[in-house]
Amino acid sequence: MSWKVPRLIPRSAPIILLILTLAAASGFAAVSHFVSRYNANQQARGRKLYAQGQSDIQVGRYEDTIAAFRAALSCDPTNSQYQLSLARALRDSNDPRRLDEAESYLLDLWQRTPQDAAINLALARVEAHRGDVENATRYYHNAMYGVWDSDPDGNRNRARIELIKFLLQRNARAQADSELIALAASLPPDPNAHLQAAQLFEQAQDYSGALAQYEQVLRIDPSNSEALAGAGETAYRPGNYTVAQRYLRMAVDHNPEDSASRQLLASTDLVLGANPFHSHISDAERNRRITAAFAQAEDRLDHCALQSGVDLKATNNLPSSSALPGLQARWLLTQPDLKLLRSPAETDLPDAIMDIVFQIEQQTAATCGPPEGLDLALLLISKKREAASQ
Amino acid sequence: MSNPAPVVNPSTASSSTSVTRVTPSRRLFHTIEGVFNEEVFFLILCVFIGIFSGLAVVCFRLAIDWTHLALLGPLPQTHNWRLLAVPSLAGLVVAILVMHVFPGIRGSGVNQTKSALYIFNGFIPFRTAIGKFICSGIAIGSGQSLGPEDPSLQIGASIASALGRQLEISREKLRLMAPVGAAAGLAAAFNAPISAVLFVIEEVIGRWSAGILGSVVLSAVASVVIVRSFLGSEPLFRIPVTAFKGPSELLAYAVLGIVGGVASVIFAKSIGYLRPRLKALPRWTQYFQPALAGLLVGLIGFLGFPQVMGAGYGSMDEAMHGQYAWKVLALLAVFKIIATTVSFVSGTPGGMFAPTLFIGAMLGGAVGGVEHIFFPHLTGSTSTYVLVGMGVLFAGFLRVPMTSVFMVLEVSGNYEIIVPVIVANTFSYLVSRGLQAVPIFDLLTRQDGLILPSLEEDREEAILRVEDAMLPVPTTVLSAQDYVDANFRRVQDSTESAFLVRMHPSGWNITTREKLQRLYQEGKGELTLASVLSAQSLPSLYPDLPLDSAIRYVNDYSLIPVVNRADSHRLEGVVSRDSVFRKYGGRSAVEVPSAT
Repeated sequence: MSWKVPRLIPRSAPIILLILTLAAASGFAAVSHFVSRYNANQQARGRKLYAQGQSDIQVGRYEDTIAAFRAALSCDPTNSQYQLSLARALRDSNDPRRLDEAESYLLDLWQRTPQDAAINLALARVEAHRGDVENATRYYHNAMYGVWDSDPDGNRNRARIELIKFLLQRNARAQADSELIALAASLPPDPNAHLQAAQLFEQAQDYSGALAQYEQVLRIDPSNSEALAGAGETAYRPGNYTVAQRYLRMAVDHNPEDSASRQLLASTDLVLGANPFHSHISDAERNRRITAAFAQAEDRLDHCALQSGVDLKATNNLPSSSALPGLQARWLLTQPDLKLLRSPAETDLPDAIMDIVFQIEQQTAATCGPPEGLDLALLLISKKREAASQ
Repeated sequence: MSNPAPVVNPSTASSSTSVTRVTPSRRLFHTIEGVFNEEVFFLILCVFIGIFSGLAVVCFRLAIDWTHLALLGPLPQTHNWRLLAVPSLAGLVVAILVMHVFPGIRGSGVNQTKSALYIFNGFIPFRTAIGKFICSGIAIGSGQSLGPEDPSLQIGASIASALGRQLEISREKLRLMAPVGAAAGLAAAFNAPISAVLFVIEEVIGRWSAGILGSVVLSAVASVVIVRSFLGSEPLFRIPVTAFKGPSELLAYAVLGIVGGVASVIFAKSIGYLRPRLKALPRWTQYFQPALAGLLVGLIGFLGFPQVMGAGYGSMDEAMHGQYAWKVLALLAVFKIIATTVSFVSGTPGGMFAPTLFIGAMLGGAVGGVEHIFFPHLTGSTSTYVLVGMGVLFAGFLRVPMTSVFMVLEVSGNYEIIVPVIVANTFSYLVSRGLQAVPIFDLLTRQDGLILPSLEEDREEAILRVEDAMLPVPTTVLSAQDYVDANFRRVQDSTESAFLVRMHPSGWNITTREKLQRLYQEGKGELTLASVLSAQSLPSLYPDLPLDSAIRYVNDYSLIPVVNRADSHRLEGVVSRDSVFRKYGGRSAVEVPSAT
C-alpha cells in the first residue's frame, strides 16, 4: 500500500512559503483547540483528584492524600495550589525523605513568586522540620515581609510567633529575644495577642518583657484574670515581690478559684513578711524577723537531719560527708550574737546572722528537697539577695 | 527544489511579454522571488519543519497521556488486573497494526533516519509518521516500557522528508531533511534543543558545517518554541538543589560511571542477543510477541513495580527527590532493563531514550545510596547521583558522550554538576566501548542487514596524516636565486632525479637533473633558476593535514614539500606518490564489522 500526498503546490518560493504559513497557522489553531480541550478535561480531572486529596488529608490519610495531590498535579502541572498542597502534605507526612520533594515543589513555586508569603512560610516550615535554624529564619523573615492575600498584619505576627516558638525549641534564645522585641512592637491592641506574646516572653525567661505584655493587657482589660495571674507570676519569678503581691491579690480577688495564684500570693506574703532587709521596716521589726528566721532555720536543720538520718549530736566532732553538722555548729556559734542585735555598733551582725540562715536553707533544700512556708520564703529571700549582690 | 526562481507559471510568462502589463504587485512578487536562493529557502523551510514537527509532537504527547489515563487510570496501583490486561491487549493490537498496516515502523527511528540520509536519499514514507504516532501512542500509553522520544524523532523526520519531496528540493538538501526533522522531533520531545542538535550531529549526520548546523538549530529551536507555547516551559524534572563540593567525590562518580558502563553493556547485549532470535521465530509468533512483552511488563507492575511501565518520567522525578531506598532503586533499574529489553525486542514501536534515562537515574540513586553507607562523609545528594546516572547510561548505552553531558545539563539547568557528569560519563563510555565494540544503533542496523556508517568508528578511527607518510628532507634543496650552472653543478653527483627549489620570496617549485642539464647546454647557465622555471608554484602541505589531502597532488608532482606552518620556507620533509600509497597499502578500502 503506497500513500502519496497529491502534488498541489505551485513551484514558486513566495507562494510555497505563503501556503506553508497558512498550513502552520491552521495547524497551530487546530492543535490549540485540541490542547485547550484536553487541558480543560485534565483540569476537571485535577479538581476532582484535589478534592479527593483534601478529604483524605482531613482524616490523616497522608499516603492517599499525596497520591491524589500528585495525580491532580500531573493533570494540571502548573497549578500552584496543587503544588503547594502537595508540598504541605509531603512535609506533614512525617517522612523525612519526603522533605526534599516538598522543598523542590516549594522552590519551584518560590522561583515563580519569591514574594509570596505563603510559599515562604511553607518553605520555612520545611526547614524547621529539618532543624535548619538559619534557612528557616530566612524564610520566616521572607514570609513576614512578603505579600499576603489577606490579613497581612495578623499573618505576619503569626509567622513571627511561629518563628519564636521554633527558635525557643532550638534553644536559640538570643534570636528569639530579638524577635520577641520586634513582635511586642508590632502587636495590635488585642488582649489575646498580648497574652500570647507574654507567654512567649515567659518561655524565653524574659520576665520583665512578659510583665510588660500582661500590663498591656490590663491597660485594655483591667479585669483580665489571666493577665493578672500572669503579671503576678512574672513579677514573682525574678523576685519582684511587691509588684507580684499586688497583681496576685487582684488575681485572687477576681478569681477566687485560682489556686496557683493563691499559693504564689501566700509565698509572696511570707517573703514580704519575713524579709529583714525590707527598707520600710523599723529596727525592732527587723530584729524580730531575724530572730524568727534564725529559729526557723534551726527547726529546718533538725527536721532535715532527722529526715536524712544524720545525727547532729553524735557526729558533732567527727568528719562527715554531710554538711548539716557543720551548719549546726555554726548556728550554735552564732546563737549568742542574737542578743547583740539591739546594739547600734553591730551594723554587720544582721547580715552575718542571716547569712547562716540562708546557708542552712540552701543546704537543707539541696539535701531534703524544696521547702515550704517560711522556709521557702527564706530560701527565696536568700536567692534574691544573691542575685542583688551579683 | 533545486532553484525555485526559474519555475514560472505559464500564465505569468505570457503576461510578462508586454512590459506595460507588469503591475506593481507582480513586480513585487518577482522581487521577492528573486531573494530566495536555495540556501535561504532551505533555512526557511527548516523553520517550518520545526513548527510542523513541534505541533505533531505536542499531539503525540497528549495522545500518550490520554491513552495512559484512559487505559490505566490516573493512579495505577499494584495488584490491579488492569496492569496485566491492558499492556497485553494493547500489544496484540499494536502487533496487528505493525504487521498489516504500518510494516515500516519497526525498529529504531534513529536508524531509519540514518538510512534515509545515507541510503534512501532522504526518503522516509509519511506513513511511518502516522504509524509511529498511533502504535507508539498505544504502546507507551498502555504501559510498555518504551519512550516517546525515538518516535517523536521519527515523526519529525517523516514530516520533513514528505515536505522535502513535495517541494522537489535538490537531492543533497532532501538527504538533509530527515536529520533536520529528527532534530526538531527530538528537541520537542525532550524540550531540550541543544541536546537534540548535538545528538543529530553526533549520531546521525556526523559532520559539522555552518549550513547543517544552521538548519538543524533552526528546526530544533522552532519545534521547542511550539512545544513550550502549548505545554509550558517546565523542564522534564523538578530538579532539587544539587551541588558538587569536593574533588575527592569524583572517585564516587567514577565508580558510578564504571557501574553504569557495565549496566549499559548488559542492556545492549540483552537486546543484541534476543532481537535477532525473536525475529527469526515463525511469522505468526510476531502477533503475540508484543502482547507477551506487555504481559511481562504488566506482571512486573502488578507485583509491585508499576514505575517501570511507560516512559517513567514521574518515577525519575520521585527518585530524584529521595523517594526510594537504594535497594528499591537497584531493583527498579534491573526490572526496567528487563522490561525495556522485552518491549523493544518484541517489535513494539517505541524509543529507548526515556528507558535509558530511567535505568541511569535508578542506578545512579542506588550507587549513591550504597556509597553513602560505606562513605557517610560524601556530600553528594541523591538527586545529584540520579542526575549523573542519567548521563552515565546515555553515554554508555547510546554511546553519545557529548550529548549525554549536555542532556544532563539541559534537563537540570545546573552547571555545578558538570564535572561529575563529565567524569562519570567518560568512565561509562570507556567501559562500554571496551566491553562492547559495536554501539547499539550500529548493532541494530547490522541486524537489519544494512551497512550504515558508524559515526563512533569514524570518530575513533586513527586518521592518517601527512607526517605519517613523510620522507626526510632531501639532501639537496636548490635555491631559485642561484644561477642555473651553479645549481646544475650541485645536482650532478646526486643520486636523486627530482629536486625541490626554494622560491623567493615564498613558495616552492620542482626541477630535474635532466632539465637543468638541458638549460645548461642551451647556454642559460648565467640565468637564475627563478627566471627559467614556470611561474606556477608547487603546492605545499603541512605535517598535520590528513593524508587524503596529499592524494590530489601525488600524481602530478614527484615530490611535494611538507613545510612548517609558522615558516613556509622551512622544510619539514617531503611526500611522494610511493610514500603516500605505501602508507595506505596496509588498509582495505571498506571494513565490514560483524553484526555480533
